[in-house]
Amino acid sequence: MAEMFDSFKEHSIAEFFKKNRHMLGFSGKVRSLTTVIHEYVTNSLDACEEAGILPYIKVEIHSMGDKYKVVVQDNGPGIPRELIGKALGQMLAGTKFHRYMQQRGQQGIGAAGCTMFSLLTTGKPIHVISAHNGTAVSCDVSIDFKTNKPVVKNIVERPATFHGLIIEGFFGDVKFDKGQYGPLEYIKRTAIANPHATIELITPDGEKYLFKRSIDRVPQKPKEVKPHPLGIGPHDLIEFAKASNAKKLSSFLINDFSRVTQKKVNELKELLPDIDFNKDPKALSWQEAERIVKAIHKIKWIAPQTDAVIPIGKEQIEKSLNNVLKPQFVTVVERQPRIYRGGIPFVVEVGIAYGLTDESFPFKGSVMRFANRAPLLFDAAGCAITQAVKSIDWKRYNIQNFDEEPIAVFVNLSSVHVPYVSAGKQAIANEEEIVKEIKNGIMEAARTIKTFIRKRYKAKEIEKKRKALLRYVNRLSEDLAALSGFSQEELKQKLMQLVEERYKLGGG
Amino acid sequence: MDNDKLAYERLIALGKKMAQEVVEGKGPTFETIVRSKSNILFDEKGFLRLGEKRETRKFLNVGQAKTFMQTVSIANKLKQFIEQNLHTSIRGLYYQLKFSLGEDLDESLFEEQSESNALIEDLEVALGVKREDFHLTTDRKGVLAGPIKIRDSFGGEDIIIDGTKQGRSGWMIPSDVDNGMEIIEVDANYVLVVEKDALWQRLNEDRFWQKEKAILITPKGQASRGTRRLLRKLADMGLPIIVFTDCDAWGWYIYWTMKTGSMNLAYLGRDFSVPEAKFVGVTMSDIERYNFLKKLTIKAKEVDLKRAREMKEYPWIKRHVEWVKELDLVLKTKKKLEQDALQGPRLTFVGDYLREKIRNEEFLP
Repeated sequence: MAEMFDSFKEHSIAEFFKKNRHMLGFSGKVRSLTTVIHEYVTNSLDACEEAGILPYIKVEIHSMGDKYKVVVQDNGPGIPRELIGKALGQMLAGTKFHRYMQQRGQQGIGAAGCTMFSLLTTGKPIHVISAHNGTAVSCDVSIDFKTNKPVVKNIVERPATFHGLIIEGFFGDVKFDKGQYGPLEYIKRTAIANPHATIELITPDGEKYLFKRSIDRVPQKPKEVKPHPLGIGPHDLIEFAKASNAKKLSSFLINDFSRVTQKKVNELKELLPDIDFNKDPKALSWQEAERIVKAIHKIKWIAPQTDAVIPIGKEQIEKSLNNVLKPQFVTVVERQPRIYRGGIPFVVEVGIAYGLTDESFPFKGSVMRFANRAPLLFDAAGCAITQAVKSIDWKRYNIQNFDEEPIAVFVNLSSVHVPYVSAGKQAIANEEEIVKEIKNGIMEAARTIKTFIRKRYKAKEIEKKRKALLRYVNRLSEDLAALSGFSQEELKQKLMQLVEERYKLGGG
Repeated sequence: MDNDKLAYERLIALGKKMAQEVVEGKGPTFETIVRSKSNILFDEKGFLRLGEKRETRKFLNVGQAKTFMQTVSIANKLKQFIEQNLHTSIRGLYYQLKFSLGEDLDESLFEEQSESNALIEDLEVALGVKREDFHLTTDRKGVLAGPIKIRDSFGGEDIIIDGTKQGRSGWMIPSDVDNGMEIIEVDANYVLVVEKDALWQRLNEDRFWQKEKAILITPKGQASRGTRRLLRKLADMGLPIIVFTDCDAWGWYIYWTMKTGSMNLAYLGRDFSVPEAKFVGVTMSDIERYNFLKKLTIKAKEVDLKRAREMKEYPWIKRHVEWVKELDLVLKTKKKLEQDALQGPRLTFVGDYLREKIRNEEFLP
C-alpha cells in the first residue's frame, strides 16, 4: 500500500488520492456515503476505547438537494486543538500508522480522506467542534492539495464542561440507501461488533434507529506490541527503520522487534557477512532489506506473543447478535489465537444467527464480515471470509440452500495487522492460514446450528402431530359418544388431555 | 334373533370399550385381525380363513389417528342404519360420511370410497359380523329357480316366494339372505349351479329343475356374496351342491372360489364357502368321452394357461390328483371347452349330459 506513496514522492499524497479516490472507498454513490460514515464512526470508537469511555455515537444524515450533510457526534475525549488539523486535514498523519497495535483504522487516511472528498464534491471544508480537556474548539478544516498540509480556519475557543467531537461535513456525489451497502446496514453491523457502544442513526427521511449497548464494559485496551520478525516484509522493514531512533541496524532490530536478541542478530550476521549491521538503519536499501527478510525466515524464532490480540468475546457477540438481529437461535465460537505469515497473530470469532425475520434483518444467507470489529460491506467476492463461507458444504449442517435461508454468518478477524486487499479496507486477503481458521470456526458453529435445526424440526413435527390429532378429537368424541352412550363433553375433554400429554409442546 | 341385532350389540360394545378406555385416561384402541396374506390359512374343514394374528390400532398414534376416527364414524353410522332399519350400499355409506371435518378445516372425513371400504372389512372381521348384518347391501347377480319356498319380510310386508313360479327370468337372489328372509320349504334332491346364464336359461326352458327336483342357480360368473351365502345355507340343510362350469381354468376357478373362498375374501371364512360342493363338468376327460366335443374345442389363451399353472400350486387344489390331471391336460393340449358346446348334437343334450353324470356320481372333488 504505502509502496505506492514512494513512487509519487514528487506529488503530495493528497494530490495522488485526489486522482485515485476510489482507492479510499469513494467510488459509487451509496458506497461513498457509507465510507464517510465508516471513517468517522471508526475513529470515534477507537478514540472512546483508548480513553476508556463507553461510546455514544450519533449519526445524522440530511438530504440537501443533490447533496447530503453528515453530522457525527461522539462522547469521546475530543482532539487537542493543535492536532485537529493533522487529524482531519493531512493524509497518513494519524496516530496509528507507526503503531503496531490492533485498531479499527490502520492507515490514517480515513478522516482526511473524507475532508478531501467533501472539498472535491462540494468545495466546502469540514466543520469540527472538539471538546477536549475543558476547552471546546470549533473550526473549519480543509486541505492544501499541493502540499498535503491542513488548512484550519475560523477557530473559536470557549470553555467546555463536556468532552467529545462533532464533525459536520457536506458531501456530493453520494446517495442514501437502506440496502445491504448503505449506512443503516453499516451501523447495524457496527453495533453488532461493538456491543459496548450505543449508536443512533437519523436517516434523511427522519427515521430514527437506536442500537443500544448490550454490555456496560469498555473492551480491554489492546497492547501495543513490537512486530515479530516473521511477520514483516522488506517494505515494512524500511518503513520501521525510517521511524526508528536507533543508530545502528543491529540495535534497530533488537529494539523495534519482538523476540530479537543479540544472539539472533549474530545468527543473521553469519548468514549475511557482507551486510554492515552497524550502519544507520535509515540507510537500509531495498535490496538489503529483502536479504534480511529472507535470512529471518531461515533461522528459528520463539513464536510471537498473542495477547496483543483482543477478540470481542463469545458472550458479547451472542448478546449483540440477539440484541440487533433478534434471531431464533445464535451460536458463537471464539477460536484460539493463531499466527499467519509465520509471525502475525490473529483471532477468529464466528457467530451464526438463524431464524431471522424480515423485520429485524431482511437479507437471506448473509455473510457479515468484520476486521477488528469494523464491518466490511464491500468487495465481498475477494474476501477471505466470503471464500471460507462459500467453501462450506452447508447441506451437511441441515442448511439446504444457504442463499435462501434466514441465516447470517458473523465473522470477526482480530489482528494487529489485518491483511486488507486494498486501501479501501473492505476485504481480507486470502491468506491460507486465515481462510483455514475461519473455515474451521464456521464449521464448529455450524455443528451447533445443525443440532438446533434438527431439534426445531422435531419440535415442529410434534406440533404437527398434536394439531393433527386435536383436529380429529371433535369428530371422534361425537361418534364415540353416540356409539357408547357416554358423555361427549367428557370424552372430548379426556381425549384432548390425552393428546396434549402425549405430544407436549417442546417435549419428545 | 336376527343377525343384525347381534351386529347392533357388538357395535355398541365396541363403543363402550373404547369410551371406557378414554375415561380411564388410556388412549382408545381398536383390535382387529390381520387381513394380509401372511395371516390367511386353509382350514382343514376345506375353506380359506384368517389366522389368529391380531393388530391393535391406537388413536394416539398419529399414523393411525385418522383411520381410527373414520372406523368409529363408520361404526356409529352402521348402528344408526340398524336402528332405523334402513339399508344402503357401501357407496351409500361413503356418501353419508363424506363431509368436511369442520368449517375451518380443509379436510374431509373421507376423500375416497376405497378408504371406507377397507374399514368396513376391518369392522366385519373385528366384530365377527358380515356387512349384510350391518344393513349394507351388495350387488345382486345370481338367479334361482326350483322347488323352494322363501319368506321375504320386506318393507313391512311378508311375501312368500315360490321358486317354481318364477317364469323365464327366475328369482334374483338378494344381497342379504339372512335378515328378514327365511327358507320355509325345500323339496329338492340337490342344487345345480350353472356358471353361465345362457345355459341356465336353456335348462330352465327344459324344466330341468322340475324333472330333476333340483334347485337351479346361476351365479352369472363369479358368485356374488348373496349367492355364496345362500349356497352355504342350502348346504347346511343337507342339499348336495353340484357345480357346472366351462372347461377351462377360469371356469374351474369360479368353482373353487365358491367351494373354498378366495384369498381376498378369506375374512368371510366358512359363512361364505361350501367345501361340500362337487364338480360335475365340463372336464378335459369329457372330451375323450364325447367324441363330438373334440371338434368343438377352442385354443386356450395365455391367461388360461397362466391361471392353470397358478391353480396347480394352491395346496388345497394340489392335493387332489384328479384336478392336477385336469390342469395338466389343459397345459399339455392348450385347449379349452365352453359349457355351451354341449348343445352341439342337440339343444337338450346339456340336460342329458348332466343327468347322466349326476346319476352316476361322476364328480370331481
